[in-house]
Amino acid sequence: MKYSGITPAFVLSIFTALVLQLIPVSGDLIYWRPNFLLLIMIAWIIFKSDQRSIVFAASMGLLADLVFGSPLGVNILLFSLVGAVPLYFSGWLVYFTLAHRCLFVFLLVIFSELMSKFLFSIWQAPENYNYIFIVALVSSVVWPLFDILLRRIR
Amino acid sequence: MRRLLFVVMISFGLMAANSYTQWFKPINDVFETIILPIHWVANIPARVSRWSSFRVADSADLQMENTRLAQENLIHRGQIQRMADLAAENLRLRLLLNATELFLDSVLVTEVIGVSPTPRRHTLVIDRGSEDGAYVGQPLLDAEGLMGQIISVYDSHSIALLITDSSHAIPVQVLRNGLRSIAEGTSNYNRLRLRFISSTADIRAGDSLVSSGLGERFPPGYPVGKVIAVTQVLGANFVDVEVEPTAQIDRSKHLLLVFTLDDVGVPGSLQ
Repeated sequence: MKYSGITPAFVLSIFTALVLQLIPVSGDLIYWRPNFLLLIMIAWIIFKSDQRSIVFAASMGLLADLVFGSPLGVNILLFSLVGAVPLYFSGWLVYFTLAHRCLFVFLLVIFSELMSKFLFSIWQAPENYNYIFIVALVSSVVWPLFDILLRRIR
Repeated sequence: MRRLLFVVMISFGLMAANSYTQWFKPINDVFETIILPIHWVANIPARVSRWSSFRVADSADLQMENTRLAQENLIHRGQIQRMADLAAENLRLRLLLNATELFLDSVLVTEVIGVSPTPRRHTLVIDRGSEDGAYVGQPLLDAEGLMGQIISVYDSHSIALLITDSSHAIPVQVLRNGLRSIAEGTSNYNRLRLRFISSTADIRAGDSLVSSGLGERFPPGYPVGKVIAVTQVLGANFVDVEVEPTAQIDRSKHLLLVFTLDDVGVPGSLQ
């Protein structure tokens, strides 16, 4: 039987990301908050690519859909497409330096935000594109925490 | 690659099903109940911050705040006396005009226990549910004005949609001259928008907007916002009106659930 990889560390990391995502912040600060669920998914895919597949990315997308209250399927699509990138490059990404991985996350978050704005503009009012770079920047700044943590677990 | 294509197809199927059916509502309802303890955990930093600021507050500061609150209370009580006089006079005049009966609303104090984790959706989780008599469509206020309405009710908590959400609209009227319109959310906590206002309409910056009561969802007369800009778009038949909500949409912690006359007798509500 294949090892499922659902360890206490994995469950704890998802729970922590969920809590960080739900901490109430006021005003425009909410635009600065990175998508912790997306970051933890990227981290697990980079460092445990043998155990984490597209199905894992889709499951995280389902969780995000339920947490964010968005139409079911939007985040599944988004997380799967975003997750496919580190999955494809996972063989190389682990040998990158931390700075390079931060840059990779920066670009990946920009891709994710653009995709998300496009998808949500189908259902809702036109989206505000002003904060894309800020979210990407904050995500790449907090990335080293995820990186160090997951490298240790690995 | 095949798996990715499969997942993409599944997600498109889910999106289509979600747009045209209510199949997934039970899943969302169950998840909202499951996630409540995580909201509670996520609120711990805010609770600790409030508790510590209260604990470390200087007794002199507390005395000053106490004095200030006592003075405010005195002023408000004085204003309420004046309001009671005005309300009675208004009622007499309405009876003379054979107008509809005025509703005297009662309220129930509630606390925010969670906020939407994404700026895309402006919702709050409050600590009152069906056990307290909360119902879908019930208006929600803070100390300054209208906040929103309840969209989902569970046993011990509810979810409220804020007036600033892009999918929300509320019938309003200008307090100065009774001009009616609809204030729409913009996904910005500090802005509402009035659409299709004629360029000759009597509306200007500084005007106060209150709920008009049309649609029978929100009771009439509650403050909604203040007009901050009226812009004539070149070549357009209508003006763009920007409104700043009166309620502290992204800051208020304690809110009021409004019960109209039909809901009297709800446990805990204040008359």
